[in-house]
Amino acid sequence: MNVDPVRKALYMVAVAALFVVFCGYAPAGEINHEPLEPGRLLAQQTRVSANDQLATPRFELLAQAAQAKEDEDDKKDEDADDDEYDDDEYDDDDEYADDDVKLISDPLIQPNTDMYNLNDTLYFAVLKPAARGYGYIIPEELRTAIVNVFYNIRFPVRFLNCLFQGKGQKAGYEFQRFFINTTVGFAGLANVAANYPHLQPSKEDLGQTFAVWGIGYGPYVMLPFLGPSSVRDALGRLGDTFLDPIWWIPVDIWTSIGIRAGEAVNETSLRIGEYEALKAAALDPYVMIRNAWVQNRNKLIAE
Amino acid sequence: MNKRFAGLILSFTFLMLIPLQGYAATPMETVETGVNKVLKTLSDPAFKAKSKDQQIATISTEIESVFDFQELSRRTLSREWKKFSAEQQTEFVKLFKELLQGVYADRLLAYSDQKVIYDKELMLKKGRAEVQSYLQTSDGSKIPLFYRLTDKSGSWKVYDIVIEGVSMVKNYRTQFKEILSNGSPEKLLEILREKVK
Repeated sequence: MNVDPVRKALYMVAVAALFVVFCGYAPAGEINHEPLEPGRLLAQQTRVSANDQLATPRFELLAQAAQAKEDEDDKKDEDADDDEYDDDEYDDDDEYADDDVKLISDPLIQPNTDMYNLNDTLYFAVLKPAARGYGYIIPEELRTAIVNVFYNIRFPVRFLNCLFQGKGQKAGYEFQRFFINTTVGFAGLANVAANYPHLQPSKEDLGQTFAVWGIGYGPYVMLPFLGPSSVRDALGRLGDTFLDPIWWIPVDIWTSIGIRAGEAVNETSLRIGEYEALKAAALDPYVMIRNAWVQNRNKLIAE
Repeated sequence: MNKRFAGLILSFTFLMLIPLQGYAATPMETVETGVNKVLKTLSDPAFKAKSKDQQIATISTEIESVFDFQELSRRTLSREWKKFSAEQQTEFVKLFKELLQGVYADRLLAYSDQKVIYDKELMLKKGRAEVQSYLQTSDGSKIPLFYRLTDKSGSWKVYDIVIEGVSMVKNYRTQFKEILSNGSPEKLLEILREKVK
């Protein structure tokens, strides 16, 4: 594929502009103050979303409905003041004060749902059988070692993102981890660093860096094959690909895709049953995954 | 002299009794005892010989002794709770309990000797506490597994589990809210009945 440099640059600018417009901008101070209690973090995240100027009709409707409901409830509360389970106890200054609607906007719910259904079908029809078969042939120890190798190779992504976020100490630990696992751990096959409690993996990525820089989630997006994300984090993922050494291996695109598919099969083979259990526990798997993703993401950003 | 001595012994006995009476398990102890009990059951050969349904039933009872399902349901429904009639509330607690017990018992049966590390216990506001534990997986990574407890029922009971930052109560709350935003409590109960069956 030959794209001339000027067009390439124009694309980049367009993408960057769209990104900023979509995600809105929240003052950097809003997000990452530590130490954070979980409750405060969530409250802050709510504020970030509330700042999001690009609320779509659906989101607004939901917000209005929630507001109407709150008003209604407030009226009821006056009647039931002696109620032991006063709403205050559960809603105000509580660590569960907000809800999913406020956590992330989902204006693309229709295409997202379609994409979720497609991913779900692909998981059961392709990925899971492939991972099963693969798991029968390859012993678990080797599969874990392969996960470790991939994790180790991606060191630059985590290291650089630690630096982008000004987390010098964490970057240092990340470097030590990489050094130990590459040398003593035979090119990352063994996770030797796991024996050192302070060398816990830091799951930093560009999406989190953007968050620390004050950029909000933007709308929720369900990516094909890759699963839940947001506009901000999807672009972060794209950016991370260029920090990933695997991207720079001089092979053609299909080999590159092959490597990634192989990695996915390998990882899935160690996690068969997890998605199934989550799905079985959910009343609405789509909503469950969206909410779980945001909650987990908030935690990662705060760390 | 003798009488005095007797009095001393008596008061001593009393003093010894007071802390005993006031003693209750701390949040951390509650979680540790509960988890260890389940782990012990899981590794018991007699348990392994049972059928899967029996296994799930046994673990469900053990889970029940540590959890406050009333509080859990109340928190999950949050504001919506009041829209349920008393009978609907009772049924909701029962169904939600069955759903969670089934799911967690099933997951626990898939558990394979990961090490559990109990890290610390934090006291939160309004009679709530958080116990922070970690599951050490075979590849050395640690999965944070936090328990939220309340002493509302007189002793510490778990009302929420937070895995890797994802609160179970909060997660179900959004799902229930979505259903209740365009359906009645009866509709939600209907879905739950179907799910538990």
